[in-house]
Amino acid sequence: MRSRVIHAAEVVKGEMSARGATERPARESPTGTTEVEQPARPRPLRPAPAGPVGPARFPGTAPVTSTELWVGVHLIESAGGQEPVEQGLERLATCAQRFTPRVSLIPPDSVVLEVKGSLHLFGGVEGLSRALASECASLGLKSMVALAPTPLAALVAARVGKPFVVTELTRLVGQLMPLPLAALRWSDETLERLARMGVRTIGQALRLPRAGFARRFGTDSLATLDRLTGRSPDLHERFHTRERFRRRRELNYELESHDAILNALAPLLAELGKFLEARQCGVMKLECLLRHRHAEPTSCVLGLAAPLADVRRLTELLGERLSALTLPEPVRACELRSSSLVVRVFSSNSVWQPGEHGGGAGAEAPELIERLRARLGPEAVYGLQVLQGHRPENAWGIREPVTESEVKGRGRARHAPEIKTLWPAFRRPVWLLSAPKPLSERDGLPRRRGPLRLLGEPERIETGWWDGGDIARDYYTAIDVHGVRLWVFRERATPHRWFLHGVFG
Amino acid sequence: MSASVPAGDSLADRPVIGERSASELARLLEHPAIWRGRSAARAEALPTGHAALDDCLPGKGWPRTGLIEILVTRFGVGELYLLLPLLAALTRRPAARWCVWIAPPLEPYAPALAAQGVTLERVLVVRAPEPLWAFEQTLGSGASDIALAWAARGPRIREIRRLQLAAERGKTLGVLFRPQRAIRESSPAVLRMAVEPKPAGVRLTLLKSRGGARGSVELEWTAGWPAAGS
Repeated sequence: MRSRVIHAAEVVKGEMSARGATERPARESPTGTTEVEQPARPRPLRPAPAGPVGPARFPGTAPVTSTELWVGVHLIESAGGQEPVEQGLERLATCAQRFTPRVSLIPPDSVVLEVKGSLHLFGGVEGLSRALASECASLGLKSMVALAPTPLAALVAARVGKPFVVTELTRLVGQLMPLPLAALRWSDETLERLARMGVRTIGQALRLPRAGFARRFGTDSLATLDRLTGRSPDLHERFHTRERFRRRRELNYELESHDAILNALAPLLAELGKFLEARQCGVMKLECLLRHRHAEPTSCVLGLAAPLADVRRLTELLGERLSALTLPEPVRACELRSSSLVVRVFSSNSVWQPGEHGGGAGAEAPELIERLRARLGPEAVYGLQVLQGHRPENAWGIREPVTESEVKGRGRARHAPEIKTLWPAFRRPVWLLSAPKPLSERDGLPRRRGPLRLLGEPERIETGWWDGGDIARDYYTAIDVHGVRLWVFRERATPHRWFLHGVFG
Repeated sequence: MSASVPAGDSLADRPVIGERSASELARLLEHPAIWRGRSAARAEALPTGHAALDDCLPGKGWPRTGLIEILVTRFGVGELYLLLPLLAALTRRPAARWCVWIAPPLEPYAPALAAQGVTLERVLVVRAPEPLWAFEQTLGSGASDIALAWAARGPRIREIRRLQLAAERGKTLGVLFRPQRAIRESSPAVLRMAVEPKPAGVRLTLLKSRGGARGSVELEWTAGWPAAGS
């Protein structure tokens, strides 16, 4: 087994030199021996390691060496089974950031942390394990801890639940050998097939020929084994604490008027402003809870079109929202909660005022939408789009308003030719009724506040039989007694009723 | 300022003012906030797309800011076709702001607007039970180039003045569609016109045009408009 590990280290090293690292003449190999390269005579590149390619590797990522030491924490139960494990996991990850900044969540029930650099600060392996265990206990979590040079090995060992401390990569494979394959959490089918071959432990799996293994069980499984032994690097996204703003204010007196409530919220909003400013973030959603003596708390949720941190605008929008609210009882306490924070992207201001010469809409565009939506509701403000469809009612749709940055990103020029290809020959009215309206008729001709005069040739639209929205209509342009042009149609099917569908306006 | 410059007199042929100061003064007078009676050609006017109408309007086009009132005999007599060239031109500019439709009586039909050259990305539809509030907010925000509004009940003079001021503040053109029964009321709007249907277009009567002539003009249009002749 030892020869295999050395081979793995050599491969890592070969890749290093293949990446153009010939300027590093000497490098300590993980086995502790030092190899000297001759920079003057370039070594022939080694062929890529046999077998399938591992997960995508980012340039500049350090290869796995024993300079890393990972702690795997496997959560068995959280808060006596009272709380979902995911929540406990996040609390644990937040606390684990005390030991190292390199903390990653492995859902659904594990956390890994890289502690090589901070090991000496906590009294070595034993001290750190003890500190981590007491941290888990204080959080009310029951967990298993294991230490290994690769994150996956630490994780697998923690899942198995036996004491496992390996600090050197060379000793890793030997220690992993007796662990059951099930701890890798492969699919049941894969595990069963391996079991039928008599392969039940990690050691037995590692002894199988690589090419055959990849062919039978997929390259992903082989890549997992490579990550386990440190043959290929294992990258995890770093955990970031989810920050939210939440403040509550108890009032000494009960408030009823909206202005007074907004005044009571002002210090909370000011605090929110400072909180956001310090983090260069904005909120997309803000909830204001108003608590009463008896009734359920009134909630007032503010949704924003773009991350916002401006207290003045937040106050304005919240005031707009509050004024539309009817309160069951006077307010005794108020609370402000933000959704998760969004990093704000700052853009430079234009020299020109909006509307002047080349001045664009700038920041006013989302502000207007937010203000209208705060009062009228989110669905009251929308944009329009053309859809692919032959039925008149399917040829358009509503959409979220296009933001300024989207427009800038794509450039407007590309849209100009699109317009020309739309409806080359057919006339369409600028107004459409949301649903066709039946018209009365006399002598087979439609009437609306008097007889309608039909103009020109009909246009037949007959489509949609494949999705149940079958239509067969002859569309006419009609003019009524007041000179208004209407778009009417007659059903092709009996009873050949007439409908009004649009207005040329 | 308007009193010091007699109407119909151009600055160039006043010898008492030196050439340099005259050009400075002319530039000063171009400021959109200064209104100089009917001689003042407003620099920032938007072509209407109809030559006959351009000739009737001060500055040879739609005003850039302010409130326009369009009085119609019936909804759909052709008042929107009158504005489509303007909407197309405004929404296709490189730094276009929103084109907001407030409380339209029916659904604006996207394919027809696109076929007329309107960039749909800049179109915003607002459904409001109180159209005047939304209209004022939109005009005053400075986030839109043009705002069209259909008022269910007749706005009073005070409200129209408020809208006019909001449009000037936000450098926006507001268009208010009203039924023709309001024709006798006075209005602080920049431009006020009545639209009647004609066989191949509309007949426009300018009821009030700040700095322009009154009168009526017949427009005929072809693109997308069903003619009644055939």
